[in-house]
Amino acid sequence: MLAVNISFRSQGTPIKDASIPENAPTDLFLDKHRDFIAAYGAKKDDYEYVLTEYLRLNGVYWGLTVMDLMGALDRMNKDEVLEFVRQCQQPCGGFSASIGHDPHLLSTLSAVQVLCLYDALDVVRVDGVVEFVKSLQQDDGSFYGDKWGEVDTRFSFCAVACLALLDRLNAINVDKAVDFVMQCMNFDGGFGCRPGSETHSGQIYCCVGMLSIVGQLHRINADTLGWWLCERQLPSGGLNGRPEKLPDVCYSWWVLSSLKIIGRLHWINKDKLIKFILATQDDETGGFADRPGDMVDPFHTLFGIAGLSLMGQANIKPVNPVFCMPEDVIRRIGVKPQLL
Amino acid sequence: MDSQPKLKLVEKGPCSLDNYNNDYFFQHGRIKVKTTAEQQEAKRIEREKKLKIYQGATKTAFEKRKNREYDHEALEVTGNILAANPDFYTLWNFRREILTHIKSNWEEENVFKTFDGELYFLEQCLKVNPKSYGSWQHRCWTMENHTKPDWTRELKLCNKFLEYDERNFHCWDYRRFVVQMSSVPLKEEFAFTTEKISTNFSNFSSWHYRSKLLQILHPDKSSSVGVAENVMLDEFELVQNAFFTDPNDQSAWFYHRWLLGKSDGQLSLQCIQASRDLQRVLISFDQQVKIGFDGLVVDLSINGSPVNVEWLSAKDNYSYIWFASVPSDLMNDSNSAIEITVKSEKVHQVQRLNLAAEQKSALWQKELTSMNIFTRDLGAATTETLNQELAACQQLHELEQDNKWTLLTIVWLMQALNPLVHHEDVLNYIAMLTEVDPMRKQFYVDMRSKYVMELTIQKCHPSVLEIDFSNKQLTSTHHLELLVSMVTINLSNNQLTSIPSCTLLQSVTDLNIDNNLLSSCDFIANLPALEHLSLKNNEISSVDDLLALKSCSRLRSLDLQGNPLARNARSRAEIGLLLSGVEIQL
Repeated sequence: MLAVNISFRSQGTPIKDASIPENAPTDLFLDKHRDFIAAYGAKKDDYEYVLTEYLRLNGVYWGLTVMDLMGALDRMNKDEVLEFVRQCQQPCGGFSASIGHDPHLLSTLSAVQVLCLYDALDVVRVDGVVEFVKSLQQDDGSFYGDKWGEVDTRFSFCAVACLALLDRLNAINVDKAVDFVMQCMNFDGGFGCRPGSETHSGQIYCCVGMLSIVGQLHRINADTLGWWLCERQLPSGGLNGRPEKLPDVCYSWWVLSSLKIIGRLHWINKDKLIKFILATQDDETGGFADRPGDMVDPFHTLFGIAGLSLMGQANIKPVNPVFCMPEDVIRRIGVKPQLL
Repeated sequence: MDSQPKLKLVEKGPCSLDNYNNDYFFQHGRIKVKTTAEQQEAKRIEREKKLKIYQGATKTAFEKRKNREYDHEALEVTGNILAANPDFYTLWNFRREILTHIKSNWEEENVFKTFDGELYFLEQCLKVNPKSYGSWQHRCWTMENHTKPDWTRELKLCNKFLEYDERNFHCWDYRRFVVQMSSVPLKEEFAFTTEKISTNFSNFSSWHYRSKLLQILHPDKSSSVGVAENVMLDEFELVQNAFFTDPNDQSAWFYHRWLLGKSDGQLSLQCIQASRDLQRVLISFDQQVKIGFDGLVVDLSINGSPVNVEWLSAKDNYSYIWFASVPSDLMNDSNSAIEITVKSEKVHQVQRLNLAAEQKSALWQKELTSMNIFTRDLGAATTETLNQELAACQQLHELEQDNKWTLLTIVWLMQALNPLVHHEDVLNYIAMLTEVDPMRKQFYVDMRSKYVMELTIQKCHPSVLEIDFSNKQLTSTHHLELLVSMVTINLSNNQLTSIPSCTLLQSVTDLNIDNNLLSSCDFIANLPALEHLSLKNNEISSVDDLLALKSCSRLRSLDLQGNPLARNARSRAEIGLLLSGVEIQL
């Protein structure tokens, strides 16, 4: 037993947080964000663009989804996108992040999401996608991300989300997949990457989303998890991903969507979070950053807009909290994830 | 056979790529800096130069892979790119192909050196990008495929990286991998968490690891936390030290909440209803179940003969409520002795119900007055422990009046000890919580609603199928699964915006939700017994919001006075069309 002297401190550990500058934006600049995303794909020789090729297909999904949420999907080059997605499908059926790269579940989900946005699943070999996803399930129910064997609950979500969008969930062993995800549940009610891993909001989103798709949210202790999630809100209004971490706009998605799925979105202070998200906009270039004053990118722009959508922002389409796609698309496909 | 490789790992020079890894994309926390046109131009030229090198290197790497050139140069060129951009996963895959080739084609000594070189290279990458999934995963692969893996060195590497950043979850995961692969005694790992916590209590990662280790080192299946009682006492002492040292540190409080535990409770039937009219038997449980799954079997017999029925639930999934249609000749006008048997690995419950000849329906239900349904939340700890913890928290509360964690824990402890005795205190403490932590006010008032509803349910007379929750400042509803047999339910004069599990109220005929904040009736669906619904003074503004009521086939009267839609002259006609035969008050 550890011997620790009981001592009292009048001031505890200072809270790590971001500050919102006085001149930070308070209005939503939708026009600027549409221009930012529309221009992003045009800079193909840009240094950043080239260096992020390993997640190009994910980037296409982020860009198209946020444009659709902002009612501007028609500004994107549909033919070019679909041709690119088609070329990313590999002989094994999975999709690579870009042409010449290797197939992976992360890019495969993005590909299926993009195809669903455009209602264009016929462009690719759907049976091949199903075979690829199926081939990655292991005996314990977990999923590899690709043939090299990394296991992560992110991949459990990707697999199940992908197959649900294709209406082919019966291709895998759902019960075993659920059992594996449940092994990753922790003392705080949250979930980690693998059995034994620490809780992280991103993994919570994946696991809660996965359980929502297969209709097994009753396995979650929603009050305990909801408490941990609402404690992610910091005095600045922003949300962090784990205790003692800085707030970040992408967590306005991972935390908020998880809370929405378990019916506890109202446990955080919406006004303060909206203020934080708006403050991360760049009023010159458009786009959202992780924190006020930082560089913007499409990833944070999607999750900023999607977070605002979940909180009922006017002029943005309602977003589905499980698939992070517009509700009208999810309705068209006919998928009905469970919400508490 | 290839010559012995001597890897030149990362080139350091004005044009090498690894100088730029701080601005590769999507790295968080890149501060936007205003620059002059001149600076921008200089940066543009520099980046153009860098881009050319990067693109050239990528092209070379891809060509080499295509030509299956698994050589020293391939390792070097991919190494240069990955040092700058460790998330370029395809190149890690190429490196694994190269290493696999080397392992089966080179001499043992060179294989060993190459794999050790790979570990050295990875360490350099991780120093620059300690949170790269790809680098950590590749390290796992390299160690798994190493001819002479030195696991002791790996554990030291974990120690080093956890000194740089004690919360790096990639490194913690790698540590668990190393521990598993090399069978490090878990007692030593437990001592490591103790050491980490003693240097900094505010280390959520260590507390987490501890929770996992305790369940393996000191398992106790009879406790819901899964940890032996005597060990738990030590943990309570440690965590008390932590929160007395820094009462605002959430890590310790989350851990404390876990120690107090939640007992799962054994599955039990909540009610059985037999209806001659509907030729149906309904059963409800205190937990959501799926009959036919998880080893759960439910048998029905009438007058001593087994009846082969199909159990159905509303969504063909896990549910509190299950129905079975009974062939009409088995529940005809004579006396029917109904028996339900619930069997699973842990449960064997037999419950009987008599539907007498003259009865249209019959009901059996478990008594709601027994307190233990609601004190399960902290079921792992003994009363003695709970009392000790309460005394400690009250002592801390005296010193730190505004500390929300202390207040919240006091609420939970009191609620677990005796909700009836402590009810007023609990409500007072919750009111204080909404003052000191207004950001999470809704969390606290929902908790209050839960406790208030629990108390009302407990005080409810077992034979009366009527329950009154009016004027209780409810912001949310709870435990509706316990109200399946209630006929009259009053939820009026509260602050409800929705009733998410309303379909559980399968027996309700009279439902009063006057003076709340409902903007829709979406949730009032599939209530087969509902006859009278009162929704006076809510926020319902559109006739479309009433659509779900169509699924309540016995609805006879609906009161919508004082709702925004009452102001629309056309509403009455539209509702009449939607719900024909229902008497509407507007």
